[in-house]
Amino acid sequence: MSSLPALSISDAVARRLLLLGVALCCLSQANAAPRVELTAAPAWKGWTRPGRTTEIDVRLSADSAVRASLDVVAARQSTDSTVELQPGRVARLQIAVGSAASVDVEARAPSAPPVRRGVSLALSESPLLGVAVASDERVALDGFHALALAADDLPRNGSAYASVDALIVDAPTLAALDHRQLAALVTYAADCGRLVLMNIDQRVRRLLDDAGGCGGRFMMQAKSLAEATSMLTASLATSLPAALSPSSIGELARPSPAAWNAVAVSLAVYFAAAVLALVFIPSLPAIVLTSALAIVGTLALLQGMYPRSQLIVWSEGESGTQLARYQAVQRFPGLVRERVRVPLPPQLGAAAQSCEPGQTMHYEVDVTSGRATFAEFETRLFRQVTLCYSGSFPMQRTIAVDARADGSRSVRNAGTRAWPRGALLAGGVARDLPALGPGAATVIDARSGGSAGDSALRTAQTRTRSDSTAALWSLDLAGVAGAPIDSTGWLLVSVAPPR
Amino acid sequence: MSASPARRFAALSGLAVAAALAVWWLGSTRLAIDRGADAGRTSEDVLQVAWLVRALVVPTLAVRVAALAGWRAGAGAALAMVVPAWPVLVLAWAASAAPLWQVVLAEGLLVGAALVLPMVGRGLRRALPRGDAVEPVATAVGIVLAAAAWIAHDRWTFPYTF
Repeated sequence: MSSLPALSISDAVARRLLLLGVALCCLSQANAAPRVELTAAPAWKGWTRPGRTTEIDVRLSADSAVRASLDVVAARQSTDSTVELQPGRVARLQIAVGSAASVDVEARAPSAPPVRRGVSLALSESPLLGVAVASDERVALDGFHALALAADDLPRNGSAYASVDALIVDAPTLAALDHRQLAALVTYAADCGRLVLMNIDQRVRRLLDDAGGCGGRFMMQAKSLAEATSMLTASLATSLPAALSPSSIGELARPSPAAWNAVAVSLAVYFAAAVLALVFIPSLPAIVLTSALAIVGTLALLQGMYPRSQLIVWSEGESGTQLARYQAVQRFPGLVRERVRVPLPPQLGAAAQSCEPGQTMHYEVDVTSGRATFAEFETRLFRQVTLCYSGSFPMQRTIAVDARADGSRSVRNAGTRAWPRGALLAGGVARDLPALGPGAATVIDARSGGSAGDSALRTAQTRTRSDSTAALWSLDLAGVAGAPIDSTGWLLVSVAPPR
Repeated sequence: MSASPARRFAALSGLAVAAALAVWWLGSTRLAIDRGADAGRTSEDVLQVAWLVRALVVPTLAVRVAALAGWRAGAGAALAMVVPAWPVLVLAWAASAAPLWQVVLAEGLLVGAALVLPMVGRGLRRALPRGDAVEPVATAVGIVLAAAAWIAHDRWTFPYTF
């Protein structure tokens, strides 16, 4: 009996300890669950056009240090990125997304409930004119839907400029842009985007003069909105050079038939083995065994193959200009039904997008660089999943062509860098163009012409006016980091006709 | 008809069907690859046609051979007709978007038919008093069953409703 009071005391202590433990546990749980704040706003005030790329500006914060993952889903394309959040700091990300009526943004952190935001996008059937000027003046351009924009409405991804068809930016707005916005604007100008800069000073003008693609024809400067509007109206008389379609780029290099060959050979071997089995061992188990071995062997063969991706680049520029525009296609051949994760070339990843809008694609975006580093998608045997890239790169090719009385052409390298061997296209005929050092010249005989033999020359001829001259070179893609071994590219430089 | 020649004939027929399907599938997928198109659609067509052709042949073969040479011979011949196409079907499935369960279910139905329908042939052999009537009656029953499979397929696009 004497032990009973002792037992009751220890029960009470145990109960208190239990309560204390529960309280501490709850406290630690409360401390472990961070509060994540998420806001998402679209670029261009939420306007874009069907099939174009735009951007979602995401702000993330938390009340404690936590690693959060951010998922952005727009139609069949999704991106995810990992963000290290610090208390009191707002992490800001700009994610390029394809046009969709709504975009879902979700932030998840360990032991915290997911935070979701929906962003609605307005899809305009009319061309969009962005007006990023400090004044409240209204602008009207025939057929265009004008958007009044502030500096923060301009995107930070160059690919998001695909949403607008023309843009007017004044000096105060230009000054308010951060470095990523400026880089995206320069990318837009380099990509032959219609851009009017208003009231900019000489220093900025000099900096931007070399940035305009297509010889700077679509980058204009105006002193007033009225002048900007009339310049844009005049500029609309000249069409932008149409980009080569992904299917046309794909035709420049045939897909590798390695997987098809392997499958064809394995099926031929199977049929030969099955006939032999039928002749010498005409039993059902032999037939079943032959089939089973063929299935195992073929699948093992496909699993053992390494599918190599293929990169095809087509670029165009004008003689004497600083930039060439490019479109590229990267093919990923499939061997079996599986989900694959492929690295994207760092120099191209900023503008990566699926060539087929219906293709479900997931991208991993690096927060610091803002570019896609990996793409993930479902593939299957003989499927060619293709990613499209576009952009511009610096170019130094200056060609001087003089037509002679005898029909031959004198071609001179008027630039400061040597050319490799290529082809000269003139009058619908392709001729060999020898390698030329700076200042060197050659004479191309009129009789040496031949028909365009390969697909690149044929494409070059379709892209060159019959009364114009152009030169086509193969691109050396060894300098493109992460480019697959099977990479091919071309540079077509057109020569402006003499005035 | 004895069991072994029937099985050999069925296996050769199965191989011929499989070879024809393989040639069609390889040719059309090669064209699709060269054109940058999706080979999945063709592969789904091959899966569907492979099932339909064998679903038409198996009843005729199974009932007739079983009526003449017994259940074992009928089942053996029917299975020898079904099995040779499997390597082609596995590859066509790998190139298509068809769910695996559909393909497995379709092949399972064929195997089930190859095992069950010979019982009909054996039943005919026992039920018919005149021995010389067994072969034409079994052939006719097999054709009726094949026609039923055709009509059922026409009305109900099972198993490949992609």
